[in-house]
Amino acid sequence: MFSLNNHLELRRVTISSLVTCIYLPSIVTVISYKGLLYSVGNASSLYILVLIFVAELMKSFYLNSNNDLHIKKKASKSRAGDIVKSFVFLLGVMFSFFVGIILFGAPVLEYHEETLMLSCLLTLLTVFPLIAHTGMELAIQLLFGVKNFSRDTIIAMLVNNALLTVCGAWLGAVVIPLDWNTPWQQWPIPCYLGAIGGYLLSNVLTVTKVTLMSAANKYPVLNIVVNMINRLHISK
Amino acid sequence: MLPWLYHRWTGLWLLITALGALSLFLYGFFPLKYHSGKLASMDDLPNVINGISIDGQSVYNSGENSVVLMVIDGLRYDFVTEEYMPFTGQLIKNKSACIYVSVAEPPTVTMPRIKAMMTGSVSTFADVALNFGAPAVTGDSVLRVAASRGRRTVMYGDDTWLRLFPGLWTESDGTTSFFVTDYTEVDQNVTRHLDKVLTPDEKTEPSFDLLVLHYLGLDHIGHLEGARSPKIKPKLVEMDDVVKKIYYAMQKWDRTGVLLVCGDHGMRDAGGHGGASTAELLVPLVVLTSDGFKCPHDSGAGPTVAQTDVAPTLAWLLGAPPPGDSVGRVLPALLPPDPRQHLYLLHVLAERNARLVPATDKEFYKQFERAKKQFAHYLATGQQSAAKIAKEFYEESLEEMAKYLTESTTDFDMFAIGVATFLLYVLAGALLSLTLFSLQPETRRKISVHQQHKSKTGSLIAFIIILAISSIILIISCFITETKSQVCSFNPIWSIAFIAITIVPTVTYFIIKTAIENTRDLSTLRDLNVIDYLLIIGTLFHSWSFFGTSFIEEEHMTWYFFWNTLMFFILVRTIVVVVMYFAKRWSGATEVQEKPDLENRMSSVGVSIVPQWILLIALHRYLRTMNQTGDRWLFLPDTADWLNAPENAFYLELHLVIGTLLTLAICLWNLRYMNNYMQMHSALTFVATACIFCYRIATNSLDSPFSGIKTWDPVLIVDVFWAILIAQVVFEIFTYIGMFKTCGFPLKSNNKFTYNKPKAKSEDYFYDQMEEPWNIDEVKLNLARSITHIMYNDLMLIIILLMRPHNVIMVPSIYFTCKLTSKCLDHKLLDSRAGRNTEIADILSKSLVHLWIGILFFFYQGNSNSLASVDLGSGYVGLREYSAPRVALRMGLHAYAAPALAGAALFCALSTRVQDWRR
Repeated sequence: MFSLNNHLELRRVTISSLVTCIYLPSIVTVISYKGLLYSVGNASSLYILVLIFVAELMKSFYLNSNNDLHIKKKASKSRAGDIVKSFVFLLGVMFSFFVGIILFGAPVLEYHEETLMLSCLLTLLTVFPLIAHTGMELAIQLLFGVKNFSRDTIIAMLVNNALLTVCGAWLGAVVIPLDWNTPWQQWPIPCYLGAIGGYLLSNVLTVTKVTLMSAANKYPVLNIVVNMINRLHISK
Repeated sequence: MLPWLYHRWTGLWLLITALGALSLFLYGFFPLKYHSGKLASMDDLPNVINGISIDGQSVYNSGENSVVLMVIDGLRYDFVTEEYMPFTGQLIKNKSACIYVSVAEPPTVTMPRIKAMMTGSVSTFADVALNFGAPAVTGDSVLRVAASRGRRTVMYGDDTWLRLFPGLWTESDGTTSFFVTDYTEVDQNVTRHLDKVLTPDEKTEPSFDLLVLHYLGLDHIGHLEGARSPKIKPKLVEMDDVVKKIYYAMQKWDRTGVLLVCGDHGMRDAGGHGGASTAELLVPLVVLTSDGFKCPHDSGAGPTVAQTDVAPTLAWLLGAPPPGDSVGRVLPALLPPDPRQHLYLLHVLAERNARLVPATDKEFYKQFERAKKQFAHYLATGQQSAAKIAKEFYEESLEEMAKYLTESTTDFDMFAIGVATFLLYVLAGALLSLTLFSLQPETRRKISVHQQHKSKTGSLIAFIIILAISSIILIISCFITETKSQVCSFNPIWSIAFIAITIVPTVTYFIIKTAIENTRDLSTLRDLNVIDYLLIIGTLFHSWSFFGTSFIEEEHMTWYFFWNTLMFFILVRTIVVVVMYFAKRWSGATEVQEKPDLENRMSSVGVSIVPQWILLIALHRYLRTMNQTGDRWLFLPDTADWLNAPENAFYLELHLVIGTLLTLAICLWNLRYMNNYMQMHSALTFVATACIFCYRIATNSLDSPFSGIKTWDPVLIVDVFWAILIAQVVFEIFTYIGMFKTCGFPLKSNNKFTYNKPKAKSEDYFYDQMEEPWNIDEVKLNLARSITHIMYNDLMLIIILLMRPHNVIMVPSIYFTCKLTSKCLDHKLLDSRAGRNTEIADILSKSLVHLWIGILFFFYQGNSNSLASVDLGSGYVGLREYSAPRVALRMGLHAYAAPALAGAALFCALSTRVQDWRR
């Protein structure tokens, strides 16, 4: 999936993943030290989402920075309209996440706030980076698998991130019914943290893989490990 | 060598050995307890304590008492409050009565609990199975010792007592506990005797020494409506009045009256019992006497005692020795103030327990020895300090002994469990390898048969060697683990079992070996997709998850999670494939052009299946909230509670009517697969459904404009219903034999529905059997088809009749789920390439998914792995009197309704799909 041919893209992917690996754990660490970890479902923790939003936006600017050279003129024309459109689309995605989460077992009549926060987070981590990177139309096409993305390293990374995020949130739900009686076994904390964990894992995997790939140039033995990590990535 | 491998006997053999292993497992898990059978007598009372003699019989004597034991079935601890039972609550508050928290051991079912209270020994789980067929207690009990001392015992209430202790009562009147639906008359039957029996005779002495009253009404209300039912409070007030009546009657007696009020077991919020949750285990025990009793304990919850403490207490009060197997203590509040008698009582009980405990090196035994020394010292010198120390020591050692005895009786036979688990896994492995083997194409099997040439003696020797190895391993493991298991006892009967255990792995080894050796082509497995793997892994995980108790208690969570994952996968996959297809068409890819078949399929998926699937997800989301089940979240209110509230009766009826009508529609739709005489069948189905409605109206769960129906007899309606179903089956079979032709029944050959062909064939079957053998297959197929469908229809109708009103909606839901899921799981549905043989993968995934659906709905319906969740009410639908097999049949069918329906649906699906008879 990844290739060493395009060094520029590879470097960008690595750096953005590294940034994620740094800023997400630090956010989680800070809030857990402040004792706020168990309130991530409340609306009062909106600032976390804002932080993630800003960070993702920065990352996408960085990822896009060179592309602007060719398409600057085209993009600037309908910039405002694009933003509005993507915003509406994001809201739609968020709503469908919301409905989907409820359909798959979140409480119906209560905890709407918490469910909404979770769907916000999921949207932010999955669809938002895609849109910010490629624009809305392409993002929709990518989402439904119409467009083939296997050539584009950055998009491949983003799609992988999205998939692992959803997987993490899904697996997070496993611990809720267990009888450990811990304070974090409450809706939606495990799913919330699971989503963050999945996203983080995906980024860590990316960084590891790129490192190993460059190391494999010297030591071909490492290719086996690279292949193993490649398998781990879920691809359509 | 090989033909036997795909012989059906191999499968049968595997099945039988698996059953054997399972029974071994059950044997290990439910050890049968052997009572010592020792009968106590007054001569057992010790007369010498550490060399100091004491007149045991006179010290033990508690005086003349009349004891009333009032057992209220299902009375749990929080029911005895001033709110529910004002009089009793008042007595407890001003210390005229004592309340204890008595702990019942699981199983919390009536029969073992009565046994525990009367014999004073701990019962085991095997007693649950015998709960209804209670055989008489053969060992010692309070009633036997009382009878041997010539006490008059009177019993009113649950006839379980009479069956447990036959011939030990002076007077009795039993009421049967099997009519769960009745909760007023069972109690009136008890209370009506009270006035007579409580009135003292001319010497102002009551006419009994022990009076047992067992009230069933509360438990019945619990089973029917749960612990939060509005009917609970009036019932408890009624019980409170009985307490009041007894209390005031006791004041008039000349003798000391003692009243014990207790529950036999508690009750879950959902109303069931049988498990080990706190609500079931903690039972109140209220004690009061008529002669100026003052409770020595602080007010509040009261100290904790064991339920088995009732036995020695009663025995002592009746002036009889404690029963032979009893391990309990006398209730502290009733212990005599005289230190000599007090200590002597403790000594008697401690000595008895010490005899039951084989280990003399345990700390509590030494404590007992010390206590004995102090007691002797007190007897010799009369020092109060020695009495105090002795009392403390006795109490400590008694407590420890009781704990030890309780633990040692609930020992599992771990060795048997281990061996059985190992055997089960080996057998499952054999089954798996056989399945893989059978997946191979036909030609391969034939070739492999010819390849093998082995001499018979060689295989015999191999067999003996493996047998020897496995038996040696078993023997060695017997000695290494130093188990006390019966399996390793090497007595003649168990040796047979031992040899059987060694033979099983040997034979299985050969099956696995040959199967694996000949399994070379696994190409069919390549057709499996992600969803199939999810199904397989989920099933495997489930079999593994039983090692954790939490997973067993909350098994539904595992299934809900897997089912959600499955639905999610299918949804994503379907959407992605459809969108991709249309995108490709739109962009003009060549691989999808000019394929009208594919286009049809894809558009039907896009237009109908995807929205249906989303609706199905929503439906499942709704059904999941219907009944809370499991253990931890059982108390949470669920949709069923909401529907059953009186103000929401309209919605409940709506559920009922929609569920029944949908089932009717499904039944009519299924009739397509029947033989001809469509009209007859549909008429019968209509009448059967009408019967169900009439039954619902007659039992007041459905309002109707026809008030006349309300007065109809529900039993009669159900009888008619059964008759109709039987008629339908018989009718269907007769049409195949061609019976009606000879009877002159006019044949309708031009039905509206086009299934008159099988009829003609069925005649061929009889008349032209010799000439046209090829017809037989088709007739057989049609017969199978219609029999499976008629079975499915009848099953649905019966289950609708048995279900609680809010659960009726489950039945059509199962049907829709099965239909839609098997459609979505079809490997060809989403495949753009045609011509692959996915038959085997299809059948595999379908059977697995039907299994899942069955278990899933089992939990939706509110069942769980706990005995407490079995719905007893459904066992009595349309029965006038108790008959064990019929009630058991109904209850079983109700509890396992969902797996049965899913299984029937699977059969139907297979029989309609199969093109030729032998697939």
